[in-house]
Amino acid sequence: MSAAAAWARRYGALIRNAWLIDLQYRASILLWVLWGVTEPAIALGIWWAIAGAGDVDGYARADFARYFFAMMLVNQLTIAWDSWYLDGWIRNGELNFRLARPLHPAHEATADNIAYKARSGSIIIVVWLVVAAVWPAVRLPFDPARWALTAVAVLFAAGLRFLISFTTGLLAFWTTRATAIMELHAGIAMFLAGRIAPLALLPPPIAHLASVLWFRPMLAFPVEVLTGAVTGSAALLQGFVAQAFWLAVWYGACRLAWQRGLLRYGAVGG
Amino acid sequence: MPPAIIAQSLSKTFRVKVRDPGLAGAVRALVRPRYRAVQAVREVSFEIVPGEIVAFLGPNGAGKTTTLKMLAGLLYPTSGQVRVAGFEPWSGGAAFKRRIALVLGNRQQLVWDLPAEETFLLNRAIYDIAERDFRERLAELVDLLGLAAVVDKPVRQLSLGERMKCELAAALLHRPPILFLDEPTLGLDVSAQDAIRRFLGAYRDRHGAAILLTSHYMQDVTALASRVIMINRGRLLYDGALDALVARIAPTKRLELVLGGPVRQESLAAFGTVHSFRFPNAVLDVPRETAAATSARLLAGLPVADLSIADPPIEEVIRLAFAEGGESE
Repeated sequence: MSAAAAWARRYGALIRNAWLIDLQYRASILLWVLWGVTEPAIALGIWWAIAGAGDVDGYARADFARYFFAMMLVNQLTIAWDSWYLDGWIRNGELNFRLARPLHPAHEATADNIAYKARSGSIIIVVWLVVAAVWPAVRLPFDPARWALTAVAVLFAAGLRFLISFTTGLLAFWTTRATAIMELHAGIAMFLAGRIAPLALLPPPIAHLASVLWFRPMLAFPVEVLTGAVTGSAALLQGFVAQAFWLAVWYGACRLAWQRGLLRYGAVGG
Repeated sequence: MPPAIIAQSLSKTFRVKVRDPGLAGAVRALVRPRYRAVQAVREVSFEIVPGEIVAFLGPNGAGKTTTLKMLAGLLYPTSGQVRVAGFEPWSGGAAFKRRIALVLGNRQQLVWDLPAEETFLLNRAIYDIAERDFRERLAELVDLLGLAAVVDKPVRQLSLGERMKCELAAALLHRPPILFLDEPTLGLDVSAQDAIRRFLGAYRDRHGAAILLTSHYMQDVTALASRVIMINRGRLLYDGALDALVARIAPTKRLELVLGGPVRQESLAAFGTVHSFRFPNAVLDVPRETAAATSARLLAGLPVADLSIADPPIEEVIRLAFAEGGESE
């Protein structure tokens, strides 16, 4: 069997298992998706009321509607829970059997992410299509080129959020508060990644900070690509370069944390 | 035959954070953490050849699991050398991991919510097992472990013994020649323990595997292992045949007599140390090397209706061995 076929079979088996486990927890999956819909719906409700008949810095009601529907989808396609899993693996000793088998635990985490995103993303797309059928405001123009660019931006963002979550989870090698650090990051990202409001509406210094750091690349940028807020090849290129840059930085941090963490695991036992 | 496992002067020192009790101690530990070096394993050397089952004995905290984890590549030794299946474990990568199985008693790889067969299928993919090999091996494992009625039930519904059997099956589908088992029979009922012992013996016989297992159950040792390695506080106390350990630690044999007529205690004392005497039963401890001759003399000289020769209970021998090591806990 070729190496590619072996990897395809491994990922297939891991994704299949993840879906089988999901089927055991239908209610909790539904609650998570509901939460994924509720948060942007609340933000949309607030901005809808503020915008009224006019607009806020160029954002009219329909723009907010499109923005938060795009946010809902992109968030589900990029969100990563790995820090919680890793924290458990490391602290409960479940990392041991994972280290003893010929598969880096990052592959299991990646496959879990693919399984989760395929499932949640498809539910959100159905929700969006149903809503768009009755509410023209949230419809997007037919633009395959933009969708293709969005797909790339979403892929980069998903990779970035995965690496951030995985790396933060690895902090469990040193501290029992790894998930608390991740929650703190999520709290900051609520504002800086565009979940509460489009970055264009934040005070300029804060919006600038979000763009300089990894917060815009990890979520707001693909949303802006999908809604058409980023126009012109220079702006697009700049966004993709920022994504690639932060991907590389977090990949390096992840490798370092993994290597150092394993040494530390070896030094204190597990 | 080259050894499957070689450990040379293997040592492991952990750095453990120490903290004084109370809030002040917690704050002090935060500001200026202090560490203490704990020597979990000290200069341990041994070799295990293919087909050998070795019991790794020691009280809690003796360093057994730490040694197993070093051999399996999970921990880096502080000093010393290890070769397992020809590999240095922590740098052996996937090729090394395909040659071993590590089963840690209470840390299981079975997916809790799914039937065990789903974990088997996952491992088929992870270990690149060809479809035909997978079917054959699974059939063999299901047969040897008696799992036919179990593999399609969610793991959470299985008994502890059934789970351990499934765990072993999952760990052995890639047919590793080297097994590291940490307390494989812990908490199991007598029949499940027996089934796992018989299975491990059969696996070794069929595939020539080298098995290193830790256990607190002496039946595991007597039923499976021809050789024991004893460690305490990280130090190797004994490495050799169980029989030789018994001979060394317990230089006497125990003769249990049922007397057919009245005998005075002084007459019995002429043959050996009287351990207990309540007519018609008597128990004598006699030097190991003269046990047979003493038995013959007893049968000839006293009205003995029945006589049996036994070693002292193995638990007693092990306890004495640790006491002899000077550091029994």
